[in-house]
Amino acid sequence: MADMGDKAREEFFSEAHEIIEGLSRDLLQLDGSRGKGPVDPELVNNIFRAVHTLKGLAGLFGAARMSALSHELENVLDDLRLGKIELTQLALDLLFRGITIYGRILAVEKGTRADPLSDIDEFLRELAELSESQSDEAPVSGAFYELDPGLLAVLTEYEEHRLRTNIEQGQSLFRLRVRFELATIDAALSSLKTKAKPHGEIITYLPTGEGAEADSIELDILMASKASLDVLRSLLGGEQAQIEEVPRRSRAAKDPVLVPSRPGSHAPPDAMGFPSAHPPSAPPRPKAVAQRPGALPKGGSTHAVAEVSLRSVTQTVRVDIRKLDLLMNIVGELSIVRNAIGRLTESVRKSPELREIGMELYRLHRGFERQLADLQSGILEVRMVPLGQLFDKLARVVRQISREADKDVNLVITGAETEVDKLIVEELSDPLMHMIRNAIDHAIEARIERERVGKPAVGTIALNAFQKASHVVIEVEDDGKGIDETKLVSAAVKRGLLGQDEVTELVHREVLNLVFIPGLSTKSDVGELSGRGVGMDVVKTNIGKLGGIIDIYSERGIGTKFTVTLPITLAIISALIVQIEGRTFAVPLASVQEAIWLDPAALRRVEGQELMTLRGATLPLCRMNELFGLTSAVKAKLRPYAVVVSVGARRLGLVVDELIGQQDIVIKPLGPSLKKVKGFAGATELGDQRVALVLDAPALIEEAFLGGSDAAVGASYG
Amino acid sequence: MADLLARGRNDRHRGIKVRGPRVEYLAFRLGADTYAVPIGEVREILKLPPVTEVPRAPEEIVGVVSVRGLLVTVISLRARLRLQATESSRKGRILLAMGAQDEVIGLYVDEVLQVYRLAESEIEVAASVLGGRLGDYIVGIGRPDGALLTLLDLRPILGRSEPVARDAT
Repeated sequence: MADMGDKAREEFFSEAHEIIEGLSRDLLQLDGSRGKGPVDPELVNNIFRAVHTLKGLAGLFGAARMSALSHELENVLDDLRLGKIELTQLALDLLFRGITIYGRILAVEKGTRADPLSDIDEFLRELAELSESQSDEAPVSGAFYELDPGLLAVLTEYEEHRLRTNIEQGQSLFRLRVRFELATIDAALSSLKTKAKPHGEIITYLPTGEGAEADSIELDILMASKASLDVLRSLLGGEQAQIEEVPRRSRAAKDPVLVPSRPGSHAPPDAMGFPSAHPPSAPPRPKAVAQRPGALPKGGSTHAVAEVSLRSVTQTVRVDIRKLDLLMNIVGELSIVRNAIGRLTESVRKSPELREIGMELYRLHRGFERQLADLQSGILEVRMVPLGQLFDKLARVVRQISREADKDVNLVITGAETEVDKLIVEELSDPLMHMIRNAIDHAIEARIERERVGKPAVGTIALNAFQKASHVVIEVEDDGKGIDETKLVSAAVKRGLLGQDEVTELVHREVLNLVFIPGLSTKSDVGELSGRGVGMDVVKTNIGKLGGIIDIYSERGIGTKFTVTLPITLAIISALIVQIEGRTFAVPLASVQEAIWLDPAALRRVEGQELMTLRGATLPLCRMNELFGLTSAVKAKLRPYAVVVSVGARRLGLVVDELIGQQDIVIKPLGPSLKKVKGFAGATELGDQRVALVLDAPALIEEAFLGGSDAAVGASYG
Repeated sequence: MADLLARGRNDRHRGIKVRGPRVEYLAFRLGADTYAVPIGEVREILKLPPVTEVPRAPEEIVGVVSVRGLLVTVISLRARLRLQATESSRKGRILLAMGAQDEVIGLYVDEVLQVYRLAESEIEVAASVLGGRLGDYIVGIGRPDGALLTLLDLRPILGRSEPVARDAT
């Protein structure tokens, strides 16, 4: 990819990604439909076309490996759709592997991954072998129809194959002559296809060139169907559509080709044997399309369709997410301006002589606020993508892993239409994949074991997504063996992560949360014992980075459910602004439960750890000024506040001096030189040009509970 | 040991240069002494904006500032060079330069003085007595118009290795 501009490269990647995602979806559907009756030929054809497009794209951008892969895949798919090879498990596996390899090639081209891709040649050989294994096309059997040779000449090999197949299956052929308005042809044609689909297959369509008006076009549609003419007429017929059955030719004619035979017919037959609507003596129409000897050349027909469809294609635009980030940043800056104007307005309104200007300013500010909120939500909406994209990828993972593990697993997906910020979707993919892998590897039992305990032989993994207020909830649920709490606890004690005396104090929920403790869950033997939870600490950290939380619920023998709760968007968050020793900090509201006045009477100290009792429960406290080593000339307040933050089931009270208020903020990451500084999720600009650090509540809780050396708090379960 | 010697020689090579085009150096004050860096290394000079200190960060990190929406980490050049701390003054400025991993770094200096044009032959080799890490940071000494400039190499100071030739892939 030598001289490719950055922009073109980006276009190439996003387009290729999009196609590969669609490809993967169609393949999964194909996989799912296998063994349930005949394969949907349209699906195979879609897959073929997608690979074909990829090949063109790869050629355009000089991605040689992608070209080569597409070429071989295309051969296999072409054989598949022409019925030259069967859709076997092997063929499907190869196709799925092809998708994985596409992903790797893209990653290499993008430079995000070093991958020698050394196994590609081997894979290409396997593909080539598969397409060489083809059987010769069976000779055409069945009846011949009264079809025009002009039509047959323009049928593509694929269309011809479908025609043969349908004839072999004993379907009858029908001619539909339908008039479409040029303006609506796309929608009308696809609705016709949808209506026709349950009853048969549309093999081809060609313009007749007989559109009565300039803004309409008439198509001859050749359709194969088992339904009777009457059924089709009532279904598809109407003012704009005439339907006729193509008469069967006598089998006595030993013509091996499908040749029309209309002896005695005076008028030259139309492509599909329609009697011409106009007497042959009529003067040629001035319109070019009207001149149609026999069948219109293929180029003409595609041209007409292409022209029409071009318009609808331009309805969507593909945008680089970074451009949206930029816009979002500008909105962020604007909201800083808004806050500043708000403050100014307040002070103007307070002065009596400026009252009127103050009122006017106030009204303007309110209007500005509303518009800005609309702009913000508009941009946020653009960033949203349905989780379905990710779920499709996961479905592929399920298929692959369950085959590797030799377990039958059924993936049930609900809420694929739930929308989440694009960035979150990207970051979610690894954690979810990990959870699913765990579920298949460790939770779902082997078939024999399942049958022994009376469970259905096929395990189920459910992937549910739904929106809950300003959060999105994703559940990963399995009907596997559940977590063995006893073994989990004893493993934790054995590794010194839990004191023997602490064991009795743990409640159900807390025991399960042991799964997320690093020292415990990374050991694979415990993962085996517990049924779930290899590397769950990593999953939890990654979800925490997105401002999300993960919860676990498990019942022995019944199954395990992980619930991931995420903010819908990352860009702008609500935060509580606090002060510690005269410095301003922001705490993301998503992790704040409440803010309370610190009651000196409720404070206790246990083993150096400050605690307070809040409505009967014990809340560990963290003096932020001590943790951060802050001092100031300002005398410490007698009654500071505790901001109660929580992650999952753990709570921590952050002791701060002042609560300033709630504000929408744009979080920006700290630079690489501050990466090692723990406890901050980033920084944000407040209205007065000052930068405020954003506290990373999950990290602070983690630190408090792990009892880090410089932490002012110790470990406890709240 | 051989390594150290080799490096020392390389350093000297960097210093001994024949007459060549003049390079512009930006001179600034750290404590009582004057230092300078090639002006091409400095992207921008900022008046001291409100700096937000970052608790738990290394001492040499002054804090973070916002430069038109971009968060910039500010490092005290004095602390990085292990010089004695002095009171910060109103004349303090922040020089923006590129650090490692394409991060824009702010370098806090006590005062920005002026730009000098130095021919390469006017640059004396850095005194080898400095030695150690500091030796790596210093390119040489310039003496234009009776001034004494310690010329710094920002690449090792900012943890940036030798510039890697970037070619379009």
